[in-house]
Amino acid sequence: MASEELFYATIRDIGARLRRRALSPVELTRAHLERIEQLDPKLHAFVTVTADRALADAKAAEAALGRGDISSPLLGIPIGYKDIYATRGILTTGGSALLADWVPDEDSTCGTRLQRAGTVMLGKLITHEFAFGIQFPGHRFPAARNPWDLERMPGGSSSGSGAALASGMVFGALGSDTGGSIRGPASFCGIAGLKPTYGRCSRAGVLTLSWTLDHTGPMARTVEDCAYLLQALAGYDAADPASSREPVPDYVAPLGRGVRGLRVGVPREYFFEGIDPEVEKGFEQALATLRQLGATVEDVQIPSIQSAGAFMAIMLAEAFAYHERDLREHPELFGELLRERLLAGGLIMGSEYVQAQRIRARLQAEMSAVLRRVDVLATPTSPKPAPTFAMVYDPDYGFPRGNTGPFNMTGLPALAVPCGFTASGLPISLQITGRPFDETTVLRVGHTYEQATDWHKRHPQM
Amino acid sequence: MTLEELRDRMKAARVEIAENRLEVVRRLLTDALRPIHAMDSRANRTLEPAVTFETVRSRGDRGQ
Repeated sequence: MASEELFYATIRDIGARLRRRALSPVELTRAHLERIEQLDPKLHAFVTVTADRALADAKAAEAALGRGDISSPLLGIPIGYKDIYATRGILTTGGSALLADWVPDEDSTCGTRLQRAGTVMLGKLITHEFAFGIQFPGHRFPAARNPWDLERMPGGSSSGSGAALASGMVFGALGSDTGGSIRGPASFCGIAGLKPTYGRCSRAGVLTLSWTLDHTGPMARTVEDCAYLLQALAGYDAADPASSREPVPDYVAPLGRGVRGLRVGVPREYFFEGIDPEVEKGFEQALATLRQLGATVEDVQIPSIQSAGAFMAIMLAEAFAYHERDLREHPELFGELLRERLLAGGLIMGSEYVQAQRIRARLQAEMSAVLRRVDVLATPTSPKPAPTFAMVYDPDYGFPRGNTGPFNMTGLPALAVPCGFTASGLPISLQITGRPFDETTVLRVGHTYEQATDWHKRHPQM
Repeated sequence: MTLEELRDRMKAARVEIAENRLEVVRRLLTDALRPIHAMDSRANRTLEPAVTFETVRSRGDRGQ
């Protein structure tokens, strides 16, 4: 077994080792496959481990390196895909019994782009059922567990992605985010996750939860690694009707420019309601760090922020529209919790859906106004640390109101970055949100903060 | 939303939900619909549903 240091290295460091031939992609991939074999029986992060494919990818990367091809920083880097990304010839379940045997004929656009960048696909990572329903005990696909505490959830719906990264089983992962499904697991697992601007990364070949709220994006252990992944993923895709033609900038080079002179706005209303005191303390310390680094921090107001809960009406209605036929014809193939959430969406009236979209337009306008005065917004990613499975399995456990949904409503780029731990050792996270298509500034703030702290260097005892 | 209203909606939408789960669904919908029902749509008649995400980068504007 290779050392822990290898498994928790960054994409930048491991890529450099690969390119100077100090490490073989095949050797690296074999080590990761062994680690998955050792750890995954208790973490359940993977639905499918694609060992043969991984070794084939690694051999191709080794051959490319042998030819002197060092053009991609992702060449030979082992990663995993959330199991709602279609993979040609490889099982893609969506964490659902309905798709338990589905083998797609095509790859998702994001998958294709990461393959072109030379990554090594280790396998498919468990998702909450159709990115919305928690798997209860007895479900065909067991829920992933949080590496920091196996009795707690890793967050969701990109649960396997979060667990695999925090446990050093992959260097990067594809997640998706409709209401916080990249940032939530990043928060609970102590890693970084970016929900890019709506339209920045393609949704083609990714199972739908809610068309107007779904985002795809990268998850990794550092902000810089997210930037490397985003660089490969971002860009127009004709196969996605919402894809943007906005030019793709260099996301990596500006990371080192610091935050001196940048303005950070803190919307105090809504995002601090019901907050855990330890989370609040960690967040305030993060703001102090940003000030010390030269940023100015000021409170800002988003007048209609209390209406952000309308996000749920949009998600429920769109999810019902997507799944209605299967729900009516095969209700037994949906988990109980997901089924009732989806059916609730069928009870929302057309006029209510339209009003929710109007509320969304108002929130967009208000956030735009605030983001003319400040460069980014900062909030806690989640008001509470990871809950236990016992809590979420309680029949009366409601859908938690998070701090992430407002930025799915408004389509703004939002990054989760570790900013501390509770006394019991659970990760706390800072959410940084920016202007449309200004991932560069969001990543720069996150990276600068990360470099000034060591939270991202802490790893769970496996 | 009352349980009676929830049952009316279920009937209209031809949706069945187990009786012992109605309260959980009622709470979910009540939370989701609260800001919508609190909105006076007459207050801003020109406010249109947001369906596009165009941008003017330099000013941080979002088109509608």
